[in-house]
Amino acid sequence: MRLILVVLPTPEIGRSEREAIGAARALATAFDGEVNVALIGPVAESIAAYRVGASLASEASANARTFLIAHPMLREYAPELYVSALEQLLAAVRPDVVLFPGRTIALEIAPRLAYRLGTAMVTDAIGLRAEDGAVVITKPVYGGKAHAVVVAPRPPVVVCVRPRAFDPIKEGIAEGGIRWIEVTLDPLLRRTRLLERIQEESATDTALEEARIIVSGGRGMGGPEGFQLLGELARWLGGAVGASRAACDAGWVPASWQIGQTGKKVAPDLYIAVGISGASQHVVGISGARCIVAINKDSRAPIFKVADLGIVEEYERVVPALIEEVKRLRGAERA
Amino acid sequence: MRVVVCVTQILDPEIPPSEFRLNAERTAAAEGIGQQVISIFDENALEVALQLRERMIEREQVEIVALTVGPSSSADVLRKALSLRADRAILISSEGGPSLDGFVVARLLAAAVGKLSPVDLVLCGRETGDWHGGQVGSFLAEALGWACVNFVSRIEVSEGGFLMRRQSDEGWEIVWAMRPAVATITNDEANVPRLPKVRDTMLAARAPIPVWTISELVGDAAELWGGSGRLRMRELVIPSTSKACEWIEGETVQEKAARLVRALQERRIL
Ligand SMILES: Cc1cc2nc3c(=O)[nH]c(=O)nc-3n(C[C@H](O)[C@H](O)[C@H](O)COP(=O)(O)OP(=O)(O)OC[C@H]3O[C@@H](n4cnc5c(N)ncnc54)[C@H](O)[C@@H]3O)c2cc1C
Ligand SMILES: Nc1ncnc2c1ncn2[C@@H]1O[C@H](COP(=O)(O)O)[C@@H](O)[C@H]1O
Repeated sequence: MRLILVVLPTPEIGRSEREAIGAARALATAFDGEVNVALIGPVAESIAAYRVGASLASEASANARTFLIAHPMLREYAPELYVSALEQLLAAVRPDVVLFPGRTIALEIAPRLAYRLGTAMVTDAIGLRAEDGAVVITKPVYGGKAHAVVVAPRPPVVVCVRPRAFDPIKEGIAEGGIRWIEVTLDPLLRRTRLLERIQEESATDTALEEARIIVSGGRGMGGPEGFQLLGELARWLGGAVGASRAACDAGWVPASWQIGQTGKKVAPDLYIAVGISGASQHVVGISGARCIVAINKDSRAPIFKVADLGIVEEYERVVPALIEEVKRLRGAERA
Repeated sequence: MRVVVCVTQILDPEIPPSEFRLNAERTAAAEGIGQQVISIFDENALEVALQLRERMIEREQVEIVALTVGPSSSADVLRKALSLRADRAILISSEGGPSLDGFVVARLLAAAVGKLSPVDLVLCGRETGDWHGGQVGSFLAEALGWACVNFVSRIEVSEGGFLMRRQSDEGWEIVWAMRPAVATITNDEANVPRLPKVRDTMLAARAPIPVWTISELVGDAAELWGGSGRLRMRELVIPSTSKACEWIEGETVQEKAARLVRALQERRIL
């Protein structure tokens, strides 16, 4: 029996968190293992939230436990204190595999915890399996041009799960056993302080990671005006607007719109890439998309190698026509 | 104030998948399929350091030291840093040492930072452009026992520390970090790397680069391996991604748009 612990340091339990538990369940089945979930910070103090966590844990494996680490000093996110609290939890629980979701907070905490435990760690895992007690992990490397298969021969190992690579677990029915974990925190550990939080605007009301349809623009948009057009198309489609790194670096759209290796990972039903060449580091962020449409003026652009449907055309000409067409369709549907 | 920027050499990340090949052992990319370049976020990190030095010009002298751990051929990335006018560059030679992983690199960098003491700020990339480890900066902060802020794109000096603009899932945060600190750098429109001047590139090509050895930094190289769990590389595989693209043609853009919508309806997506 092996213990898999999913650590969720995030303030809410969203799709990425459910995916991490989903990955744990898949591993547990092959591992003869047990899945536990640890919630830390405000989420552990909210009964509604930890209930969800607990029920998810019990769906993942029988007799699963949920560990709750609540402490007044953890109400506000402070990496030093979160790492210290989790170090104490892991010393008590001694899991074989520690899984984190692939969120900003987790990517910050996980390596520091791994360093303290002296364990191997892998970010961006898209595959997890067990083999004779060893954990075999797959992750994209070289910007997605290859997948590395690495083996953690002896536990423990710390793994961050890539968003949209594993099936999320659904809300469970039964509630797992809940255990509160007492931690001692030293306020002098704090070396950072959050002063301000700035939320960036999105083009539509739909969040990028949840959107069923995404219209994305790249350097080929030539400036921020082109993104107005994409915003209009996205609104008619009921979708969201994303971007390539080149468009974000140009300052045309906020950095939080970036999709790809170092941006958001998305898995919409429809992804429309406009003026995006299709570099592997971008494509790796949309590998879960059901249907990819590419609009590019260059028929040799690599994006057409991963697209289901392609239009070779200047976006300035074809996107307005597409907006009209979608408007007509929506009008017909309403009538 | 002394700022250390950690830079890495990687295979050019822009080579297209069609040109990408594996070595015979299937453990890394084949040699010679592309140029060796500085890792992309390390360029952003250098840019952050250069901007900090420029902003501080009236108040305090800022010295920028570039460090890399690698074979002697990786001195090229240090020359790149010098061409952008880093003040110094030091090669930590990995030749004859243990194979590099995040722990080993972080311990060597920590020892080098100690030797350069006093250091106020260490900048790393958020992840390398080849293995995407995303761990060395955080490991280094742990090894040094310093403050650490990840996914930072701009830094200013403030009372007793630094103000860092940090990328979050929804936008940005302003985080104060106690000095000394480590930051891992991500990209935004404010830290797009500048191009070196031709003259500086020529000067950098001739600049002597001091080499520090593993034994001089940490004594016994074998000890670097101690304690930490190791990952074994099994193999690399090349994912099959190619799809057959259905081209949407038409006499006019209206026709193309209408055909696209129809194709999406047929696929039950619209
Ligand atoms: C470690 C690492 C991480 C990275 N992470 C990411 C990431 O998360 N996300 C990301 O996107 N990139 C990422 N990149 C960068 C990536 O390698 C590419 O540089 C980037 O995706 C290119 O953006 P682009 O396609 O918009 O620009 P370009 O490659 O310049 O392509 C522009 C395209 O627009 C087309 N075009 C031009 N004008 C028009 C027009 N009028 N109408 C239609 N088409 C037109 C051109 O034919 C061209 O194909 C990363 C790179 C590295 C090394
Ligand atoms: N061999 C190295 N020499 C110097 N710095 C490195 C080295 N490897 C990694 N780094 C630094 O750590 C960052 C993240 O690396 P990684 O954790 O391996 O993805 C890089 O962007 C560099 O700033």
